[in-house]
Amino acid sequence: MAISEEYAKEHAKSPAVLCCRAEKGVVLTCHNLEDPAIFDDLVDSGLLNLDGVLTIEQVIGATLQDTYDSLTPLTPDKIDAIQEAKAEEKAEAPKAAATTAAPAAANFSAPVAGGTLKISIGEGKNIHVSMPLVSAGQAGACVAPAAEGGVAAAPAVNAEPKLLRSLTRHHYKITEVKRGPETKIEGTTLYIREGIEKDAVASQALVYDLKIDIITPAEYHTYSETIMDVQPIAVKEKGCELGSGITRVLDGVIMMVTGTDANGVQIGEFGSSEGILDENIMWNRPGAPDKGEIFIKTQVTIKEGTNMERPGPLAAHSATDVITQEIREAMKKLDDSLIVDKETFEQYRRPGKKKVVVVKEIMGQGAMHDNLLIPQEPVGVLGARPNVDLGNVPVVVSPLEVLDGCIHALTCIGPASKEMSRHYWREPLVLETLYDPDVDLVGVVLVGSPQINAEKFYVSKRVGMTCEALEVDGAFVTTEGFGNNHIDFASHIEQIGMRDIPVVGLSFCAKQGALVVGNKYMVSMVDNNKSEGGIENEVLANNTLCHEDAVRALCMLKARMFGQEVKAAERKWNPAVKDANMELISNVTGKPIERVPNETSLPMSQKRKEKYS
Amino acid sequence: MKYTILLKQHIGAPCAACVKAGDKVERGALIAEPTGLGAPIHSPFDGKVAEITDTAIIIDAKEAEPKEDKFVPLTGDSEVELLKAAGLVGMGGAGFPTAVKCNVDLKGGYILVNAAECEPLLGHNIGQLENDAQKVIEGVKILKKICNAKEGVFAIKAKHKEAVDILAKLCEKEEGIRVHLLPDIYPMGEERAVVREVLGKLLSPTDLPSVADSVVINVETVQRVAEAVIDKRPVITKNVSVVGKLKGGTHTRVFYDVPIGTTVGELIERAGGIDGEYGEIVMGGPFTGKATTLDAPITKTTGGIIVTKPFEDLKGAKMGLLLCACGGNEERMRDIAKKMNAQVEIVQQCKQAMDIKGTLKCENPGNCPGQAQKCMNIKKAGCTEILIGNCSDCTNTVMGSAPKLGLNVHHQTDTIFDTVGKERMRYLTTSKTVPQLGEEPEATVTSSETGCEYTITQDVEDGLLHIDIKEGKNIEIELPLYL
Repeated sequence: MAISEEYAKEHAKSPAVLCCRAEKGVVLTCHNLEDPAIFDDLVDSGLLNLDGVLTIEQVIGATLQDTYDSLTPLTPDKIDAIQEAKAEEKAEAPKAAATTAAPAAANFSAPVAGGTLKISIGEGKNIHVSMPLVSAGQAGACVAPAAEGGVAAAPAVNAEPKLLRSLTRHHYKITEVKRGPETKIEGTTLYIREGIEKDAVASQALVYDLKIDIITPAEYHTYSETIMDVQPIAVKEKGCELGSGITRVLDGVIMMVTGTDANGVQIGEFGSSEGILDENIMWNRPGAPDKGEIFIKTQVTIKEGTNMERPGPLAAHSATDVITQEIREAMKKLDDSLIVDKETFEQYRRPGKKKVVVVKEIMGQGAMHDNLLIPQEPVGVLGARPNVDLGNVPVVVSPLEVLDGCIHALTCIGPASKEMSRHYWREPLVLETLYDPDVDLVGVVLVGSPQINAEKFYVSKRVGMTCEALEVDGAFVTTEGFGNNHIDFASHIEQIGMRDIPVVGLSFCAKQGALVVGNKYMVSMVDNNKSEGGIENEVLANNTLCHEDAVRALCMLKARMFGQEVKAAERKWNPAVKDANMELISNVTGKPIERVPNETSLPMSQKRKEKYS
Repeated sequence: MKYTILLKQHIGAPCAACVKAGDKVERGALIAEPTGLGAPIHSPFDGKVAEITDTAIIIDAKEAEPKEDKFVPLTGDSEVELLKAAGLVGMGGAGFPTAVKCNVDLKGGYILVNAAECEPLLGHNIGQLENDAQKVIEGVKILKKICNAKEGVFAIKAKHKEAVDILAKLCEKEEGIRVHLLPDIYPMGEERAVVREVLGKLLSPTDLPSVADSVVINVETVQRVAEAVIDKRPVITKNVSVVGKLKGGTHTRVFYDVPIGTTVGELIERAGGIDGEYGEIVMGGPFTGKATTLDAPITKTTGGIIVTKPFEDLKGAKMGLLLCACGGNEERMRDIAKKMNAQVEIVQQCKQAMDIKGTLKCENPGNCPGQAQKCMNIKKAGCTEILIGNCSDCTNTVMGSAPKLGLNVHHQTDTIFDTVGKERMRYLTTSKTVPQLGEEPEATVTSSETGCEYTITQDVEDGLLHIDIKEGKNIEIELPLYL
């Protein structure tokens, strides 16, 4: 379809093809040209051959030499003269004249005004201009040796980073989990009170039954119902609030929530991970258990039919939290002598650096999709508010709150892309951005993904306003799951992008999760896929955001913020793009990026054999 | 003989009857008055009111057609009052009350007489100009005065040579009335297309022509303006073209002054009657008309009656609809798809079609915005057929991609054109620009050799300039471009 002037400018380098019949003598405008976005399809359908075609900027303003029909590619013989692209010429002129400097022959000036470098050359030969590439954190300084006195370096902002807050994790080692008369920790042994299951069941009207299994590495090869969540066992020290101060955390053990409804239906939406544990868990993902850890696994049975309603999964989580809370109480009594490791996270304001924000889309469709936000204890229940009840509007949290378990993930989407509660505890993008001295991470915006489109756009507009108010230079938008939530995911990116803020999106897409919607701001995207087939294969946390994705996203956003081009994606999912990008990044940084394994490293489950091979 | 006079014959609110059953009525007598935006209705017959229904007044007429044009004359002091009293509405199809339309001060602007008669096969507008153009000229003069316009312009397709010649001669004698020639493409008669072609201003779909200091008014309406003001004659008759699968041939028959209320069936009988099996009967033109029935009455806005041959049977093939402002609305397109026995899988809408209060309007009538994407969407939906109602330019564009995608193209006018043996709407071969009257082709031909013979001719039929050169070397041809 005919394109707008603005669109034509954006696609100045795209092929120029007539959208309709145009008569001889017509002076070509954007209204005569077809939208380049559909050319791939047209070429695939054999409708179009783009060999030798001119670009949009080369034909606008040219006169058509004959009457041509729609979908005619404009080649040089069809127009009177190739139009010179003015902007491009200015930029390339100094580059073209390469070798010997002969300044006498050229009129040359390089004033730096309003942040823009302008070089105009009236006449000249063999002009040589050298200037440093704009490097991260140092914008716009430039030296043009041929010029005299015409250059002003941009003032460097070198204000000291300011520490906003810090969070320290005290690690306590657990090597054994046993049942006993009371919940306590002795040395490296955690005892869980016998009969605690009864209290857990009694706490929730919808919970019919709750079983605790202690899964040690020796028991990894056993059957489990679908894994609803993986949680760190952590507690705040007295007087400390979530997101700062000291948090005590147990190493070597995690809570695992599993369950079905009374009819035996797995609590999961798009897929579920029931089966043999070591065939269905992608070890060591940020959200998954690490190989070697002990699981305190609850198997919760909730009232029939409530697996697809908000109260059902919440009841399963709340009942499990009765047990976790009792462990937390025991942890409060732990002696400092048992601390095996200390880890401190610091949040700095970095004046003068590019301000970035991480927008995390979390599920909020209701039904089985909800999250508890900002509980009193890490990944707790008490004190938290469900994001669905908050209307899914954006909630700004500090990166340290994210790392301290401010999201208790109730969501039951496909296991491979769901961000477990533990995922946020070790969120790679937040960590990567927090520790990058070149950027100033202003905060993390949590936005729910509502069910209804009107509500999706309601919240995404708030995301746009939030980013505008924060005056960020760049933004990440992440999401979990795929399909329905991609509508608001795309809308968040649009709302941020339309405010001229570079934005990088992260999502599982690949084959199965291919985006159902898109807009012109979705040009820098990182695919979280790790699976061989590009699918949601029901292996826990397989396709979630990992370090390797965070590194690519951060590089991409920096490139965008410093005005570099991010190449357009290929039309069809091609895993080689990721390989090439990772290689490129390690070549520049000199640091190899370790790639995480995928499901092929696990024993093949019967289900995967049947469903996915 | 009983005739149905509809209380709602055009846009606006339905009228309310001001007679009751049993009342005797004379031809031209007021029988219904507007309740909101609208125009009064007069009895087209001498006779008796047989019945008043929710939607119509039924008149028991003495005779179907009077021997002489006798009627109850209108009363009114000013021209506008007479137009209002006459129940005059736009007869090109929309039916907007003329008195309301003309209640405007054009401040020296233009009365644009829409003589495009753009709907193919209809002939009553051009026929009217060929028969009695003087009456229309009188109407233009009245409208110029009412609306304070300095110029009246007839917008007419160059191909109607006879009517153009007649008008051109009459205009020579008149101050401030001229002819503007239109190319032979569809749509030229769309209100904003007329403004764009004549005045060079592209109005937005929400703009009225008054934005360009003009009023666009159909030829027949102008004729009726003259009748209302000069003859004090109310609107009781309508000019109608009847065409299609008729006994005696498929050519167009024009009936002037058909009493409103005459049934479609009656008129078809007068035209010779339906010739055997038929597909559908359309009221209106091939593009904007809708299916009708034999008992439907003629209204103030009826322009054409078309009888088609039976539809092609697509045997349940999957079809995509491409809606636009030029052709039928979705209801009409679905109706045609159903009659062709096709399964509608997807409905697409032209990028330029804007929904204005439930009606599609084209942002730039007759100038295509590209359709390849829509065709691909239809292909992707698994269709093998595409039904369009597009203008000449857009149809041409669809032909540029749909057949290559493996889509069989159907135009909503196909069955009608097939019936009368007219070439189907497919490719555009004529130019969108035509030279205006008095414009001589300014082409020059030079050659390195002396005595090079050449001829230059301008053909109004196809809007092309033809240059024939017998012999020569190093020939150079120069001609101005009509942009």
